[in-house]
Amino acid sequence: MARVRLENITKRYGDVVAVDDVSLEIEDGEFVTFVGPSGCGKSTTMETVAGLTRPSEGRVYIGDDEVTDLAPKDRGVAMVFQNIALFPHMDVFENISFGLRLRTYDDEEINRRVEGAADIVQLEGMLDRMPDELSGGQRQRVAIARAIVRNPDVFLMDEPLANLDAKLRVHMRTELQRLHRELGTTVIYVTHDQAEAMTMSDRIAVLDEGGLQQIAPPLTCYNEPANLFVAGFIGSPSMNFADAKLVAGGVETDHFVVELDHRNVPGASVGDAVTLGVRPEDVHLATGAESIAHPTDAIGARTDVLEPMGDEIFVYLVLGDGDARSMEEDPATASDQLLMSVTPETELREEQSVEVVLDRSNVHLFDATTGEALVHGITDLDSSGREPGTTSTEADS
Amino acid sequence: MTDDSHDGDPTGRPDASDENRTRADRNATATDIASGRTRNSSAARSRPDRLRPETDGGRVTDRPEDRGAIFEEDGDRELDRGPFQQWVANSISNPERTYRAMFYVATIFFLFTTLFPFYWLLMVALTPEGRQQDIVLTPNGFNPGAFVEVFQVIPFHWYVFNSFVIATASTIIVLVIASLAGYAFGRLEFPGKIPLMLLVLVISFFPPAAFFIPLNDLFNTQFAVLEPITGDGSLYNTPGAMVLPLSAIFMPLAIFILTTFYAQIPDGLEDAARVEGTTRLGALFRVIIPLSAPGVATAGVLTFIAVYNEFFFSFLMTDGQPENWAPILEGILGYQGQYEVMYHLMAAASIIGVIPVAILVIVAQEKIVSGLTAGALKE
Repeated sequence: MARVRLENITKRYGDVVAVDDVSLEIEDGEFVTFVGPSGCGKSTTMETVAGLTRPSEGRVYIGDDEVTDLAPKDRGVAMVFQNIALFPHMDVFENISFGLRLRTYDDEEINRRVEGAADIVQLEGMLDRMPDELSGGQRQRVAIARAIVRNPDVFLMDEPLANLDAKLRVHMRTELQRLHRELGTTVIYVTHDQAEAMTMSDRIAVLDEGGLQQIAPPLTCYNEPANLFVAGFIGSPSMNFADAKLVAGGVETDHFVVELDHRNVPGASVGDAVTLGVRPEDVHLATGAESIAHPTDAIGARTDVLEPMGDEIFVYLVLGDGDARSMEEDPATASDQLLMSVTPETELREEQSVEVVLDRSNVHLFDATTGEALVHGITDLDSSGREPGTTSTEADS
Repeated sequence: MTDDSHDGDPTGRPDASDENRTRADRNATATDIASGRTRNSSAARSRPDRLRPETDGGRVTDRPEDRGAIFEEDGDRELDRGPFQQWVANSISNPERTYRAMFYVATIFFLFTTLFPFYWLLMVALTPEGRQQDIVLTPNGFNPGAFVEVFQVIPFHWYVFNSFVIATASTIIVLVIASLAGYAFGRLEFPGKIPLMLLVLVISFFPPAAFFIPLNDLFNTQFAVLEPITGDGSLYNTPGAMVLPLSAIFMPLAIFILTTFYAQIPDGLEDAARVEGTTRLGALFRVIIPLSAPGVATAGVLTFIAVYNEFFFSFLMTDGQPENWAPILEGILGYQGQYEVMYHLMAAASIIGVIPVAILVIVAQEKIVSGLTAGALKE
């Protein structure tokens, strides 16, 4: 068990910058997930921790030791790979004991440890099977057993569930959480699936284009995204965005105005272009809006497509007259569209005129040019000019 | 098109068999008339009458009729066909049989061309001395003692041993070095990789004879460093004089085979091995080579056989004495005296010389098969 510290890690392949000046620190026993779209540099970052990739610049520390130039085998890390990477010419026992046999353990110790590891991942009685005789989930367990059997300081998991079917993935997700609780080992987990990141992690590191966007607990990333990318990436379906302009006493988009005291928006002044973001669950029908503490004025809209999901209904709203709507545009970023999530009891039809309100305490403002978050939640007007609930976390990272 | 002309005419079909040619001619005329094609002019009608029997004996009209019969599944027609036509018809409707027949023909041909020389060697070996003329397919007499005599006349087993050692040493050297080269070429990215591979390829194009004179000169030069090992300090009359050049000559092929195999092992397996505790080299020997067993076996067997069979360097790099590491080739030539050539012993020795390679191939084949089944790289 150990802390992991990355200092200004940069990795270049020719002209391509795969990882761009990433610094972060992972506490002992913490479960940190690197999440981001394909090609964001999350796997490369992990490989620099594993030692499979040497960073072009920067230093890697595990525990108190700098390991930047150490071979993977000398770093005390264990890794679970996306393609599982069991050695096909060895049976389960040989696979799990591979690392132990390379070190000087006696046979008794090896047997004891392999059985212990097999016990933890529930592989008893399968030690003499070959990998091709196992199911996908069993192979994944063998890979995990191979990783835990050496008592590594740090666990590295590179999309370990990506090749499993959906049901098994959810199952293995809970097993991994249980395993982390039992072993208490530091875990770095790489995934492109933000649901995995949200459910398993102590903290999420969101990466994009090689750069670290935000590292924070999952709910902080969700409620107070540091920038437009994090806001759009975390959460499914994605947050609604609308181009807007900061005016005196409010934020004005093409189709509606959200009132606020512009003086409470740090780093922006009247006339600045901003991006307004609101999650689908913070859009409500005006008729049932009494329970919302800080609603905006009603916004006229027309329902377009309904997507009943069972526990909720996603309603695609078209603002204004709606004729100018183009089908190609992503509804999340199109200024004249809004995605609303309502309870399944709500009676709505397609092509129906409705009035909606936004929950102002969950409206986010972002700088339109830099994408950095300006304000999360606009509630200042309710207490005579003071700003009680405003969480103006200007993200430094 | 001919089907069109005969369609409305079930009675006009001529017989298929050859003895009915005249009847076929008659029928052909009748067919043409009935089909209405000859209504155009009398000249058109008379031309087929006159020409067909002369040119091809009525077969022209037979063939389309037969094809029609096949596709119409006219059961009665089957009985009228000749054996050859029946066979053709069967082949068309049941091509599997033809493919199987072709397979057997090809197999028997190759088996014959490969095995007949061995058979012939055996016949020569079994024929007593001095009666080698006029061997047809059986030996003139029966003298299995030749297989014992080969060891009595000269120490043939010593030559076999020398060849075996030289081939084994070359194979080991080739496999080790080619594995390292194959790993570098197959799994690493480095500047100059393609030019280097091309260089290896170009070197393999050189005729081995081109290397001989400089090498012979070099191996006859005495080096003080080598004195404790070779006695006089030169490599001539040592296995090194054959192992070194032969390893180099057969190296490129092994490098290319192993490069291809090593390149196909998924990166994840090597990464896993390295994280688990091996070096890159350890990963090569513990994971990549075992998973490439078929390729390693192929490269090894090819090298072994090539070195074992090699003539040029084997003939010239020693003085022909078994104690000076002369290979099997010199042994076989040893039965050739100034006044007589003991062909039966040469033949027996040749057969004995094949045995080690035959055993090796059988063993390696099992390895190849087990390597394929245990591999199961499903990533």
